[in-house]
Amino acid sequence: MSSAGKIEEKDLRTSNERLKKYIRDKVNHLLSVMGTKPLGREELDDSTLIELDPIGIIARSFAQVLEHQKETNRRLTVAKDQLQAVFDTAGVCISIIDEDMRIVNCNEKQKELLVSPDANAIGRHCYEIYCGKDSPSLDCPAVETLATGRPVFIREVKKKNKHFQIVTSPLKDSDGNVTGVIEVSMDVTEKKKAEELMHQAEKLTAIGLLAGGIAHELNNPLGNILGYATLVLKDRESGLAPEHREKLEIIVEQAKKGSDIIRGLLDFSRQSVPSFSDVAIDGIIGKTMRTLQNRFSSQRIKTDVALPGALIVRADPRQIELVVLNLLLNSIQAFEAVSRRDKTIRVGASRDGDFVRVSIADNGPGIPGEVLPGIFDPFFTTKPIGKGAGLGLSICSGIIKEHKGSIHVSSEAGRGTEFVFLLPASGAPHPVETR
Amino acid sequence: MERTVEDIVLDIRGQICPACLLITLSELNNNKERLKGAKARMIVKTDHRDATRTIPGAAFAMGYSVSVVQKDRHYEITLEHEK
Repeated sequence: MSSAGKIEEKDLRTSNERLKKYIRDKVNHLLSVMGTKPLGREELDDSTLIELDPIGIIARSFAQVLEHQKETNRRLTVAKDQLQAVFDTAGVCISIIDEDMRIVNCNEKQKELLVSPDANAIGRHCYEIYCGKDSPSLDCPAVETLATGRPVFIREVKKKNKHFQIVTSPLKDSDGNVTGVIEVSMDVTEKKKAEELMHQAEKLTAIGLLAGGIAHELNNPLGNILGYATLVLKDRESGLAPEHREKLEIIVEQAKKGSDIIRGLLDFSRQSVPSFSDVAIDGIIGKTMRTLQNRFSSQRIKTDVALPGALIVRADPRQIELVVLNLLLNSIQAFEAVSRRDKTIRVGASRDGDFVRVSIADNGPGIPGEVLPGIFDPFFTTKPIGKGAGLGLSICSGIIKEHKGSIHVSSEAGRGTEFVFLLPASGAPHPVETR
Repeated sequence: MERTVEDIVLDIRGQICPACLLITLSELNNNKERLKGAKARMIVKTDHRDATRTIPGAAFAMGYSVSVVQKDRHYEITLEHEK
């Protein structure tokens, strides 16, 4: 071999050694990535190393790792989407709050009930966004969970005039430190209202039973007082002195007042069963208005009546007359302390879906806001003693409810009061519940 | 009817790492389709303790569920592709 050939062979050997070292280094690098030991030269010689092709084996294994990673990512995305859908469509409010009480995330229900449409809740303090306050409340369940690391089960909290039942659970890091809280709230405002109504109905029933019992017991002795006093008054031979006759007349008058109250109590306790028929509401209102014509005139009250006619309701006309009479008398009495000249009572009726809507409004002094909530309660009155037993409106409310209708009041101090009651229109489907 | 799953037994007793891992990875690559289709599972028999750490770690990252059972004088590593 020439000296030139020897140099070429030496160069080639050097180059091969470099390449084999490169391959061995790369194999060992990959093996360390796989968490195992490097290949010793004594374990595998160079030619067996190239034949085994560890780089190829690891490359194909990495392809499987990537494939698995891709599939895992796909499944995670699906799971995340499903979780987000559950989060957003849950019928309860869900909010994730960090340790500084800032909102990390909240679902659609939470936004709908407690976040103003123009507010960006994320990153803001929960007490500011959800409760409209500058600092958390003392009874805030999230504060308690953040402080104790323990969940709070079902605490009732009022936020922005709504009632919520709240459950909070702590979020913890791997060391067990509390890093935030998950707050789940259920809006129970409607449920609370229904409970209050139920409570009210039970109270009314109890009072009604009591009132009915007392009325029965008092009716007979009062009837006797009235009867005998009248008999003595009519007896021309009794020789009553004028001052005694006057006192007897007071007894008769007061006994009659007592009878009126007892009649009211009996009506309130629903001792009289309604007798339903198809009646024109304008007829009932017109008849009642006529009976009060003298009162309107004497108190210079203008009436403004808008009755379109042909509004037929399914009702007991006598009881509805009583309702209209009570409401009109209330308006008349409201004007007694008013010296204005334009005293007006507006009476109207119109069709409202399956109902007929009757409105009786006055421009009297109005009812103070603090009084309004109790206005339909029995024995509730703002009138002076002897001017009313406080049964009129509770009787009206009871009658309307018995007719499957509803009665509402709206009033503004100094501007007047409007009572509206709805009665099922004749021929309309029978309402399932009171509107 | 119960499906029968073929056992691909890989006996690498006497081998040490990293050869244990390379041989197992090579067989997992060669039998990838059958394993992925849940038609087969691989049972690796090894008496090298390190392999009970390296093989499960790599196989798990490739999407296999792994169980290791110690027998009298060797370990059996069962590799099944996750559904």
